[in-house]
Amino acid sequence: MKALKTLTIGAAMLCGTAISAQAEELHFIMCGGEAFQADLDVVKAFEAKHDGVTVNLEQVPWGTCQDKALTLAAAGNPASIAYMGSRTLRQLAANDLIVPAQINADTRDAYQPGILNTVTISGTEWGYPRAFSTKSMFINCDLAEQAGVACEAPKTWDDMYAMAKAINDNTDAAGVGLAGKDFDNTMHQFLNYLYSNGGTVIDTATGEAKLDSKETRETLEFYGKLVDVAQEGPTAWERSQLTELYNDSKIGMYINGPWGRGAHNESINEITVPVPHGPSGTNGTLLITDSIAVFKGTGHEDLAHELATMLTTGDSQYALDTEWGLTPIFDYEKLGRSDTYYKDDAYWMTFIDAIPAGGPEPLVEDFKSLQSVFTNMIQGIILKDDTVDNLVTIAGEELDEAL
Amino acid sequence: MMDRYTKLQLVGIYAAIAVFLTFLLLPFFEMFMASLRPLEHLFRSPYQFWSDDFSFQAYRDMWVTVPLLGRYIMNSIFISVSVTVLTMILVVPAAYAYARLKFPFKSISLGIFLGVNMFTGAVLLIPLYRVLGTMGLLNTYWAMIIPGVAFLIPTGIWLLRSYLEKIPVELEEAAYVDGASRMYTLRRVVLPLAVPGLIVVATAVFIGAYAQQFLFAITFNQTREYQPLPAGLFEFIGYQTVTWNQMMAAALTGVLPVMIIFLFLQKYLVAGLTAGAVKE
Amino acid sequence: MKPPRPSGPNRKLSQGAFAWLLIAPATLFILVIVAWPLAETFRLSFTNTRLGGGEYVGFENYIDLAESRKFHATIIRTFYWMFLSVSLKLVLGLIGATLLNAAIPGRALFRTLVMPPWVIPMAIGMIGWLWLYNGAFGVLSGAAQYVGIIDKAFEFLAYKKSAFYSAVVADVWVGTPMVTLFFLAAMQGVSRDLYEAAWVDGASRWYRFRRITIPQIMPVIISMSLLSAIFTFNSFEIIWILTEGGPRGATTTMIIDTYKVAIGNFKFGEGSARTVVIVFLLGIFSLIYLFFLNKINKRYGVK
Repeated sequence: MKALKTLTIGAAMLCGTAISAQAEELHFIMCGGEAFQADLDVVKAFEAKHDGVTVNLEQVPWGTCQDKALTLAAAGNPASIAYMGSRTLRQLAANDLIVPAQINADTRDAYQPGILNTVTISGTEWGYPRAFSTKSMFINCDLAEQAGVACEAPKTWDDMYAMAKAINDNTDAAGVGLAGKDFDNTMHQFLNYLYSNGGTVIDTATGEAKLDSKETRETLEFYGKLVDVAQEGPTAWERSQLTELYNDSKIGMYINGPWGRGAHNESINEITVPVPHGPSGTNGTLLITDSIAVFKGTGHEDLAHELATMLTTGDSQYALDTEWGLTPIFDYEKLGRSDTYYKDDAYWMTFIDAIPAGGPEPLVEDFKSLQSVFTNMIQGIILKDDTVDNLVTIAGEELDEAL
Repeated sequence: MMDRYTKLQLVGIYAAIAVFLTFLLLPFFEMFMASLRPLEHLFRSPYQFWSDDFSFQAYRDMWVTVPLLGRYIMNSIFISVSVTVLTMILVVPAAYAYARLKFPFKSISLGIFLGVNMFTGAVLLIPLYRVLGTMGLLNTYWAMIIPGVAFLIPTGIWLLRSYLEKIPVELEEAAYVDGASRMYTLRRVVLPLAVPGLIVVATAVFIGAYAQQFLFAITFNQTREYQPLPAGLFEFIGYQTVTWNQMMAAALTGVLPVMIIFLFLQKYLVAGLTAGAVKE
Repeated sequence: MKPPRPSGPNRKLSQGAFAWLLIAPATLFILVIVAWPLAETFRLSFTNTRLGGGEYVGFENYIDLAESRKFHATIIRTFYWMFLSVSLKLVLGLIGATLLNAAIPGRALFRTLVMPPWVIPMAIGMIGWLWLYNGAFGVLSGAAQYVGIIDKAFEFLAYKKSAFYSAVVADVWVGTPMVTLFFLAAMQGVSRDLYEAAWVDGASRWYRFRRITIPQIMPVIISMSLLSAIFTFNSFEIIWILTEGGPRGATTTMIIDTYKVAIGNFKFGEGSARTVVIVFLLGIFSLIYLFFLNKINKRYGVK
């Protein structure tokens, strides 16, 4: 019986895959374990507004949610909308899997500067920005005092190096936490420094690779210097492990996002300062967003757009920013909110002030190749495999190839 | 008498076992320690064996952070058991055929079976998704059971075959002489003798199923209630932070049922049953 | 109750038919589930498919691989990885099985204690090893410093050579329980008569091990090694979680490379070509292996 059934199904299979169609059900893939209350509220409001339409809100754990959305899309059964890292938008767009976002003009003005850059390719916006983060430097004041240096913001790289060296020499701890593992935040950490030195990876206007430059060389050289005052074996460390090290008071400073405050040991006396700038730039930061992408081929793209817009504006977005402890994605005062969670809080100011000078995560089609280019270059200087000059030249070439 | 050891030999054996087990259990020690520590101070340098803020809090909290944890553990066991039963049913006859019988294309077909093992499930994910979708099996327990069985069959056949080969042919021939049919011989003569091999292969299949579930579960299954433990453990991973201590506590708790089952099973790995059976 | 059995030339035919009858269910199952995806992979390897589709490019993917020196290095690295890890597993497995076979009190407990590395989800086990290997927080570095072997923290995973061997150790850790228990089961199946006969004749324990145990369990040793070799060759999670293939490619085996290309970059065409190469190489390896298996079987007289 089973054999017969299998045979007929096998035959049907050979004739092409059939996707079962249902009465309008939107499939929303969201990352995380438990559904976010604000999301649930939006879903309910949406369903109430549209008779006969239901939303299947699927929570997929972090680390696998993006892959799931991609697998479904590649298998011909895409979700209606999904929460994706903005870095994937270019590839999705190039492969005709998503449709451009329809952000209306008022909303557009209210976004923090540079945010829309993270979802724009050649003038078209491809995602609805959903979560945003910038980075700053956290410094352990107790260690600084122990080392005999004033606990204040180092302005330039030389200041930073001096401070790190003092901590390294005079205390048990290492001066700075450096990430060099084969992991995505190795590139992120480096970009913070690069953008604080006026460097660019890809020219947003022309799309050319601009990695091979004087600014990059200076940054890489600085990285090489930092190895001497950093923790042992940076190539085995990535940022979340650095947090552990910081919590144990074993490094004096490192770069992290706004969630750092919550992740750090309460007993540590710390300050949050802008990323020090190099000889060729000003304090910058790395702008990373995650977006809601609307997939193509579901048959109800308009409804999907509406749901996405509802999720990413207004109360729902504000609730997410507050709860996740993120850098605010909108200038909420422009949207009419007065008592924002970041008002008059010096902590938040460090993360917000750097936004205008910040650079985006480069939007390329082949993200992993981009990451490899950086990892290779960074590990090269950490392991002292090659000279700064060679490494940057090679990285420039590899980036050209990857584009 | 043969099994009597001198005192020195006994000490040596216990010492060797201690070293062996230390190697195997060291990470577990580390994981257990991690499950006892508070999240803000998970790691200390240099290494510290004990500290004042150790507690079993994580073991309590984990049920709250991931409410369906108990269900996930049950699912894991259910799926693994189903896979094992189904696989063994398909594997035992096939392994016997490869061990004993001559037939055309024997070596080639065995090679092809083994070839299936050489592909990892990860690369076949998308076509497999389509196949399961067409069969209407997505989001059911079957979505995780069926691919698991398919990938474990070659391993099962390959391993069981070598155990069945070792059973003396004389016993089977003795049964033929008495007029028994092949099926009868297989059922009543061969299988009882193959029990140690069967147990071990079934265990291997069970554990293989337990290990593979993850990939199939996250891709082919959407229903949270059906998810097995490894997929559930991912729920301890947050947006930027991971509750390691609870995750480790959950992982260790999930391992316990399997260990207990094996503790009961291992006594079936008994010493050679064929002693004296073939004496003329 | 005792049907007359067929005799003469008829028997061979029905033996073959009977055999296929036994194998049919398993074959059918695999055919439906696995055959089509495998064929798809093979087909894709001749295309340049990315996420949204692609077109046929003939042997281009394969030619690229053949010309890439990096890929050659990856192949060599993978085989070295496999040989080293499998050898260690076999040796440790034999030692472990012998120890657990000994008639000493507590062996039930010991046998059960061997299981955990096998049972725990590999990802979790590897996280455990990550912590162990950590220079600042891990037991290994801490203990070594305490004892005085090294004077400051050692990051096992930070340097190319040490990362490779650390990954091998973790892989051996994962695979040893299975090998140990399989060898144990095989040893349990060896008839006591053989040992007793030798013991009566005055044979030492070592002699009994070498001349009775090993030959008797040889089929299992051979099967286990080939299976272990295949698993180890394709061992992915272990390396991925520890190093993701780094630093600077020191732990990148073929499967890591394939994953990065196929799943990481969504270059399904090129990823499929790599998969086919893996299967091809493993296939040749297995053929050579089975050839030797046949020879050894004949020599040890297993029917």
